[in-house]
Amino acid sequence: MTAPVQRVPAIEARDIRRTYKARPRDVVALDGVDLDVAAGEFFGLLGPNGAGKTTLIKILTTLLAPSSGTARVFGFDIEGDTRKIRRIMNMVAGGEQSGYGILTVREQLWMFSQFYGMPGAVGWRRVDELIEAVGLEEQRLQRVNSLSTGQRQKMNFARGLLNDPWILFLDEPTLGLDVSAARSVRELVLAWQAAVSGRTVLLTTHYMAEADELCERIAIVDHGRILAIGSPTDLKRRVQRESVFRLELDRLDGGPARLFRLPGVVSAVLASADGHEGTEDARQTVAVNLVLTDDGALGEVVAALAPLGSHIVALAKSEPTLEDVFVELVGRGFEDEAEAPPPDDGLTPAVPQGAHEAGEPELEDVV
Amino acid sequence: MSDPTTPPPVPAGFAPLRIPGWEDFDPARARGGGLRGHWRGFTTAVRIGWATEANWTDPLLFFIYSVAKPVSAALILVVMLEVIGGATSRQYRSFVVVGSALWAMVFSGIAGLAWSILEDRERYRMIKYVYVSPADFLVVMTGRAVARVAVGAMGTIITLAVGVVLLGVPFDPFRVDWPLLAVVTVLGMVAIVSVGIVLGAVVMQTRQEAWQYPEAVAGALFLVSGAVFPLAVLPFAAQVVGLLTPLAWWIEGSRRALLPDSVSSIGGEGSAWLDLTGTVAPSTPEIVVALLVTGAAGTLAAGLAFRSSERRAKDRGLLDQTTGS
Amino acid sequence: MADPAFSRAGPGRRLRPELFVGQADASPQAAADWSRRRILLTDLRAVRGRAYPRITGLFREKSWLFFEILLPFLTTSAFVFVYRALQAPPEYIGFVVLGGAMTAFWLNVVWMMAAQLYWEKDQGNLELYFAAPMNLMSVLLGMALGGMVMSSTRAVAVLVVASLLYGVSFEVDQWLLLLAVFGLTLAALYGLGMILASLFLMWGREAWHTTQLMVEPVYFVSGLNFPVARLGFIGALAVATIPLAVGLDAMRQLAFAGSQVSLLPPLAEAGILVAMTVLFTLAARWSLRTLERRARIEGRLTMRWQ
Repeated sequence: MTAPVQRVPAIEARDIRRTYKARPRDVVALDGVDLDVAAGEFFGLLGPNGAGKTTLIKILTTLLAPSSGTARVFGFDIEGDTRKIRRIMNMVAGGEQSGYGILTVREQLWMFSQFYGMPGAVGWRRVDELIEAVGLEEQRLQRVNSLSTGQRQKMNFARGLLNDPWILFLDEPTLGLDVSAARSVRELVLAWQAAVSGRTVLLTTHYMAEADELCERIAIVDHGRILAIGSPTDLKRRVQRESVFRLELDRLDGGPARLFRLPGVVSAVLASADGHEGTEDARQTVAVNLVLTDDGALGEVVAALAPLGSHIVALAKSEPTLEDVFVELVGRGFEDEAEAPPPDDGLTPAVPQGAHEAGEPELEDVV
Repeated sequence: MSDPTTPPPVPAGFAPLRIPGWEDFDPARARGGGLRGHWRGFTTAVRIGWATEANWTDPLLFFIYSVAKPVSAALILVVMLEVIGGATSRQYRSFVVVGSALWAMVFSGIAGLAWSILEDRERYRMIKYVYVSPADFLVVMTGRAVARVAVGAMGTIITLAVGVVLLGVPFDPFRVDWPLLAVVTVLGMVAIVSVGIVLGAVVMQTRQEAWQYPEAVAGALFLVSGAVFPLAVLPFAAQVVGLLTPLAWWIEGSRRALLPDSVSSIGGEGSAWLDLTGTVAPSTPEIVVALLVTGAAGTLAAGLAFRSSERRAKDRGLLDQTTGS
Repeated sequence: MADPAFSRAGPGRRLRPELFVGQADASPQAAADWSRRRILLTDLRAVRGRAYPRITGLFREKSWLFFEILLPFLTTSAFVFVYRALQAPPEYIGFVVLGGAMTAFWLNVVWMMAAQLYWEKDQGNLELYFAAPMNLMSVLLGMALGGMVMSSTRAVAVLVVASLLYGVSFEVDQWLLLLAVFGLTLAALYGLGMILASLFLMWGREAWHTTQLMVEPVYFVSGLNFPVARLGFIGALAVATIPLAVGLDAMRQLAFAGSQVSLLPPLAEAGILVAMTVLFTLAARWSLRTLERRARIEGRLTMRWQ
């Protein structure tokens, strides 16, 4: 069944602030966050550890009160309408060790079905179906304290779907999972959203690839502020105003300089087969890193190759990653421990430091 | 570009401990510290236990564990005596106050190791890290238990003080048999901790609700230890169980040291001791020997029980489970 | 190069839409609008749900039969022998036996309710409880009812075995009143337990230690082994404030008709229990809400080890 279009946004947050009392000084976890998430959207909060993502999700799931600011979930106020919000949402966190080890998977899920008011028999039926859906049939009668981490997270995900939530909050759902288990969880999230239209997902993560591929829009968070919001493509476009291609040819008489003169070509340098600058590789192909003003200029380059007697062996476009976006905004990577000054107003990118100065290695070299 | 054959520089903090002549691997580190290592682990655990459990800086907790609990327990018995009234009850007041005060140490010791295991397993989730450290698991847990016994000892002293000051317990420091008190206290602590070790062995196998088990065990031992009534009141078979319990001898020895004129909890008219030995009450050397023998047997049994439980827990993956319900 | 594992196309598992009820709700606003009947049913089912692991646990791990039944019986026996050593009248043996039986319910309140929310926070379950739509009182009631299976077994075992073994004879004139007083005592006890649970949630690690304060000191002022009237003013205060004290005193008068010193007649004490039940239930409701609000403000719902 297709749900009618929701006019009410799934999330509306205005100037959310949250300070934790701590010694030696208070911790400002959120420093004025504004957020709008449309109904049916798959929205991501991407940022390093300590950015404030979990604090924000706890506020939206009514577990934590903001120090100031307001927020609504489908029009319901997080302070005044907590019960109503709890009826239509659910949450799944990564690294969750909750539950009662002595119960089986089936019993654990049934217990939670009762908390959502399901009749007993309906609860058992739903639990059995969800167990099948998430791929835990073989573990259904196994005690919770004997599950592997991946199995436990699948069970948690099943718990998150028990009440058919209108909005599902996922707080680092693949934390600590191996590649296969993480992939399963991501597939389950997508499958659920595809199966039941109109449902909203708010995902927090520090895995950029996860946010890049799952989310329709992403907010990049750091030091309690949202630095930028947009689709993954739009965000990457902020940092890459040009189009970068890797062009592999069977030959190029005259070298890359022949391409440099073409309109729309910003730079053309030789690259080796593994992407580093170098000489021709053993297979006698010529690889060139091309920087163009825009994608349209590619046509000119391709057209110019035939008269030169060159044939294209491979063509690939290089895109910046979300970490590039983060570095552009903040001046450091997710793993960079060096202090970087926060941006002036939280909404415009800071002047990047370090990585672009002369003599510093490029990001791709660091990896 | 850096030479891939050259290892990257090691940050200063990561520099390995280097022993001359053993540049790569020092086998001595895998041999363990022997008795010295055990002692170090034990004393460290005692310090940790004392830091976490002794409540000098928190008046509320100090009040709860060292004043309210032990004094209340004594008062329950005193009022029971008052309710009945009469010469018998007055005669027994010192008896029950001393026994009840000593029981504060018993409860702390029994609960100490068991609660340490439960806390580390269920609350702090540290037990696996403690277990895989080079320190012996039993030694570390015993150290934590000893710290709790020391906390219980504070309660004992306070209750005795209340008994002397407010409840008329006749205490004369010049009549106290201090050497006997010292001996039975040391041997008694070993006995108490050994009971705690047995209970620790049990809780390694059970689930979170085991928090209540120390109370149940202490209460059950209350019956056969002569803490608040002479064993002679019990049926013969129960008295024999009491005679085999080190706690009964510890209480008898402590009470005799503190109150030389006190009624014996082991002997007396109608007692199994009288039937078995022909003497009304055990002598001081008999008390010490009995405490030593029963304590040694109990400690040996406790050690075996703990190791067996440890093996079973390791076999079944129970050491780092969480079991709430 | 894009990792095909992250492709949005073709998820590996297809979820059937019919798995999800609630699709009849056209909007989240409709889905959030519950009738009173649905709210009540949810709370009742939550009671059942939370009692389930507790009861199931009893059958899966049976060490409680030894530690919760046999050993407490021995503890009660110890106090019986204290009175025997003092050559006390037989009715005092009955007092101790009845007190020993009621201990089970008090310990259930202290360990299985009061400290429970604190432990649930440690285990990470508390967040999930608060994020769910049922009333937290339902969860606490479920815990209490689940624990009552164990407590009732213990109480019956102590009562029956000790009575037989030590020759306790009961003289009950008013069975209905006795049962009513028993029920009211439990209701008041569990209401108090809910208040304590909310307080302990705020107090954090202090809660764990405060449960210890609820054992021997409460036994003393409640007259577990002797008539509480013997404590004079303290006894009167206890009867006015502690359900265990007033309930036990009333039950003793009714179970051993025509016996001992008491502060008030059983009917009056039953009235006190009714008032306590109402007061504690309302206070529990208020305190759970207030303290949840405070805990959300201070972030205590999600911070462990504090």
